[in-house]
Amino acid sequence: MQHIETEHHDGTSDATPGGYGNRRRPGELAFGALMLAASLGLLWSAYGISGFEALSAPGTVPMATALVMVVTAAIVVAKTARLPLVPNETLARDIVPATVLVFIAFLIAYGLLLKPLGFIPTSALFLIAAVRILSRRNWTWTLLVSLGSLAVVWLVFRIVFTVLMPSGIVPEAEFIQVFRNLFNGGGA
Amino acid sequence: MMQALMGFLTVFSQPELLLLVGLGTFAGVYVGAIPGLSVTMAVSILISFTFSWDVYPAISLMIGIYMGGVYGGSRTAILLNIPGAPSAIATALDGYPMAKRGEAGTAIGVTTVMSFIGGFVGIAVLALAAPLVSDFALGFQPRDYMLLAVLGILLVGSLSQGSLVKGIFAGALGITIGAVGRDPLTFSERFTFDFQILEGGISFIAVMIGMFGVSEALQQLHNVDKAAVRQKIGRIVPSLGTVKKHLPLSLQTSAIGVTIGALPGTGGDIAALMAYDHAKRVTRNPERPFGEGAMEGLVAPETANNAAVGGAFIPMMTLGIPGDAVTAIMIGALFIHGLNPGPMLMIDQPDMFWFIVGALVTANCFMLLFGLTGIRLFTRIVEMPRSVLIPLIMLLSIVGAYAVNNSITDVYWMIGFGVFGYFMRHYGYPLGPVILGVILSRLLDDNWRRAIISEREDLGRFFEGVLTSPLSLVLFVSVVLIFVSQTPVWAKGKALLFSPKESAKQ
Repeated sequence: MQHIETEHHDGTSDATPGGYGNRRRPGELAFGALMLAASLGLLWSAYGISGFEALSAPGTVPMATALVMVVTAAIVVAKTARLPLVPNETLARDIVPATVLVFIAFLIAYGLLLKPLGFIPTSALFLIAAVRILSRRNWTWTLLVSLGSLAVVWLVFRIVFTVLMPSGIVPEAEFIQVFRNLFNGGGA
Repeated sequence: MMQALMGFLTVFSQPELLLLVGLGTFAGVYVGAIPGLSVTMAVSILISFTFSWDVYPAISLMIGIYMGGVYGGSRTAILLNIPGAPSAIATALDGYPMAKRGEAGTAIGVTTVMSFIGGFVGIAVLALAAPLVSDFALGFQPRDYMLLAVLGILLVGSLSQGSLVKGIFAGALGITIGAVGRDPLTFSERFTFDFQILEGGISFIAVMIGMFGVSEALQQLHNVDKAAVRQKIGRIVPSLGTVKKHLPLSLQTSAIGVTIGALPGTGGDIAALMAYDHAKRVTRNPERPFGEGAMEGLVAPETANNAAVGGAFIPMMTLGIPGDAVTAIMIGALFIHGLNPGPMLMIDQPDMFWFIVGALVTANCFMLLFGLTGIRLFTRIVEMPRSVLIPLIMLLSIVGAYAVNNSITDVYWMIGFGVFGYFMRHYGYPLGPVILGVILSRLLDDNWRRAIISEREDLGRFFEGVLTSPLSLVLFVSVVLIFVSQTPVWAKGKALLFSPKESAKQ
């Protein structure tokens, strides 16, 4: 099949993963080495499940797959180490720019705050901060868009799909009950 | 027969289901069209919201999104030269040049009709072939299932355009993730590292949302400043003459689409690229050269990627092996609803199979309807700034991961796998095999143990069984061939066979 250039070195598709065939991206070798180390750790752990007790033992398939991981990761590391670096690419600009790091931190912060603060305040904080950073628009626009989007998400998922999220500091159930009473009263 | 007919008609007889398929298809067209929102991501997020529903409404919505989403990617490929979905990469090659000539309406019309034709061919093949494959699969031994699982994971790794070694690594990683927790047979702890939290295993939905949703959103942060381009839309519905002219190519590429779609782990992306390549080779005198607005360059990939949808359901429904990432997620949805995809599903609950066929037919019709209408509104919606879209995808991913078990741990898993998947994307590790590995881990493990126990723990007897059973032998040879076909020895041998002179020079 003729090669069709899709410029997917960043892997935006499941069928066309990123990377370059004949060059090494910044951090690629370290990532490979990390995978190899993790695979070795998993192989050790898999051996600990049942050792070489029997072919049908619970640890046989985990040991086999961990061994496959070790072998393939070692091949990847050996191959990657021989490749020249991609010119004009840096780790900080092309792989993990500051925006990506900031958003990973935002996601972790969201996870940590979700239970104590609750879904609405945490999501509001997340959306306001994220939209403000990415759009670089004024506060009025940011607040309108973020809180408007949050209202739509909340209505769709909390009311229509009845997804239960942590309420935290907001008495969400009471609010919903007040609205239900209002509508019931209106309808009666 | 009556049960099959009842199953097929279920979707048409219940307005709620019809509405959900329509809603799903409509949403799918837009989800597929918006760069940064993939169908896989949308379905993986959706599964967590619909798991408390009945199975029919949940599947209706997912099928609509799937069918609409595969088509929707072509819209932005044509209008903005940004494929909304990977399956529309080839569409952009000729669609955008047409749009630049002011023929965006014609291009959209042709892609819609061809997607409709491709979709129908795929569904027809599914309806005809699946019962036969299913009957055949009833004779499968545990070792065949085990080999099939290995084959499925390997195919994903080898047919995706990256390195096979990285594909195999990803597949093995997926199986390992799937093995975390207590072994269901012996209750032994596996990869728990004495953490109680790991004893229940890792939620595959959290893995899926992280890998496909969060990693994609993080990836889109690189493109946040790309501006949208405005377009003019002309005549949309193509003439009968145009459709007739391209029907032979459409049927050929439908066959490519459905075949590629039926191979575990491939799907619309590869089907579209192969169909485009086929069109380039068989079209003798295109009105315009390929890459400069050839109509054939639109017809081939768009027919193939929609035909691949029906194809992807064949291994999923008959063998319990997903045809692509979306069907892998749908298998998860069926599991959640207490159903077990595979040959027994076709026997025990044929109505479910025929319901899926009915839902696909309906979604295909809705796709034609939504595809030919609302294009002006569409151009406004796809201009939604990424600065709003990306945070919303992240928010939906979090809500989705939390909603499955009301567990904050799943959110952490999702974030972890999202970040990990982001690096995997950048360094050329395919994500599909990880998900397939997680899904197939149990199938592989259980069937290996059953097979080896039945051979009294004797590896020699096991291989004797493989070599003496025609089916096992075919599967085993396929596994070996995939390995060998990726080695330098194979490449050298192929070069010697097909162009001995050039090889000799080298």
